[in-house]
Amino acid sequence: MSSPLTLPLQRETSRPRRALILAGGALIAATYFYLVLAQPADLAGGGGSAASLICLFGFLGGGALLVGGILPTLTTSSLVVMPLGIALNIAIGQTAGSLGLQIYLDAIGTVLVAVLAGPAAGAATGALSNAIWGLFNPLALPFAAGAALIGLLAGTAAKYGAFRRIYLAPFAGLAVGAVGGLVAAPIAATMFGAAGTVGTNAIVAAFRAMGDSLLVAATKQGLTSDTLDKLVVFTLVALLVYALPGRARNQFPFVRRYRVLAGRAPTPVPGTSGE
Amino acid sequence: MPRRRIFNPLTELLAAALLVVLVLVINRWQFSLAVLVAVILPAVLLSGRPRRIGLTLTVVAAPLLLSSLVLHGLFFPEGTTVLAQWGFARMTVEGLEFAALMGLRMAVFAGALLTATMTASIPELVSTMTHRGWNRKLVFVIGSAVGLLPHVAARAHHILRAQQARGLVVGGGLRRFKALLMVSTPLVTGLLVDASERTHMLEARGFSSTVRRTSYLPDTDSAAQRAARWAMTGVVVVFSFLWLATGAAK
Repeated sequence: MSSPLTLPLQRETSRPRRALILAGGALIAATYFYLVLAQPADLAGGGGSAASLICLFGFLGGGALLVGGILPTLTTSSLVVMPLGIALNIAIGQTAGSLGLQIYLDAIGTVLVAVLAGPAAGAATGALSNAIWGLFNPLALPFAAGAALIGLLAGTAAKYGAFRRIYLAPFAGLAVGAVGGLVAAPIAATMFGAAGTVGTNAIVAAFRAMGDSLLVAATKQGLTSDTLDKLVVFTLVALLVYALPGRARNQFPFVRRYRVLAGRAPTPVPGTSGE
Repeated sequence: MPRRRIFNPLTELLAAALLVVLVLVINRWQFSLAVLVAVILPAVLLSGRPRRIGLTLTVVAAPLLLSSLVLHGLFFPEGTTVLAQWGFARMTVEGLEFAALMGLRMAVFAGALLTATMTASIPELVSTMTHRGWNRKLVFVIGSAVGLLPHVAARAHHILRAQQARGLVVGGGLRRFKALLMVSTPLVTGLLVDASERTHMLEARGFSSTVRRTSYLPDTDSAAQRAARWAMTGVVVVFSFLWLATGAAK
């Protein structure tokens, strides 16, 4: 056991935090519904200025509120894997993007953190990684809220046993991907005229050639790419976490408490407890 | 090459972000082009590392600009003024205009933020955030993630080389997926083991205590810059409201 040599951790009240999380979620939901309901007329005239502003601030602001609400509740062991997840997201996502793949692979770190450290840490990782990635690749910036949602859903799926069997993970990925695609499509259409990677643009072009409006084409592309993408990502993460040595994965309280992974009931081994 | 930096990184990042907001508010391709030529180009040239920034910009933005041009230039069903037509593809004036608007917007996004990021010193940014009393967990996650990035890339490269030495062939289809798994498993395992060691070190150094942090680096931020940041934000917010309220955006 590592006993801190400093004063014991002071547990603050969780009231204002919950308010922040709720406000962030409400802001994101309101922005999304505004975009979906008010968008089509605005977009045909060449990218509404107000719409793209509302999109950027709604989703970024909502993401910031969420992160602000979640961060203080996280333990050190969760906090320490978050930079790792962020770096993995950006490194692999950037590679997949420059290879021109039709899928993004930019959520591996988010899903990994969500499985190991829980939905809250997953959501914060998703939002922060897109915010940081946005400094290198600005196209990622507006998708911060979508990435937070992916982390939240992946963590919730893990909590209820989607990763206890490897064959369940792809199905969870499909479901999460469908939700993620629906959320991401209006953002892509409003901010950048549905431009993604070269690979995803080809899919949008195919739907546009059939005469779909930009939002519809982006949604269909999102449903195609995102479901496939999350299916691959969830499978990959499931294979990854089972390949980890027990010491590495059982250091996380979330994994132990909810029996996220199959196998012998993990007993806390002296010297490996996360906190 | 020495990097030329005049302001605190926080000020520069905020200025870049506000520029992006202005481009979104005004929403005319002429304005985006003007910003690109009059602000971003000189900033890149004066940054002290124009070649690196130019190269990154080309790698990040050029494929997107090209594919966006093809996407909207050729497939824009709403367009009425047809310039040329080949089968399914129709080149329309409206499509090209939309492509220019979105393409220039992306170029300003990438140019402004990349220039600010690539000239910013990350330790200085982190120390400024600590001095300004930001949430220490947020500061840790941001600083640590940015610091880990090159480390992760280098480590992935080493592991790929090691696996190739053991006979891994990176091929297409399912083979590529297997290669991805063979590289990412040792990568993630190694990083997680490092992370658990870091947990113990951080705990032993009082990471979870709630007292005010001190930073080893001196504060390079000044009161004038702090005031300038607030003023810049205020001006942009007021301008945006006026611009949108008078309906000039249409």
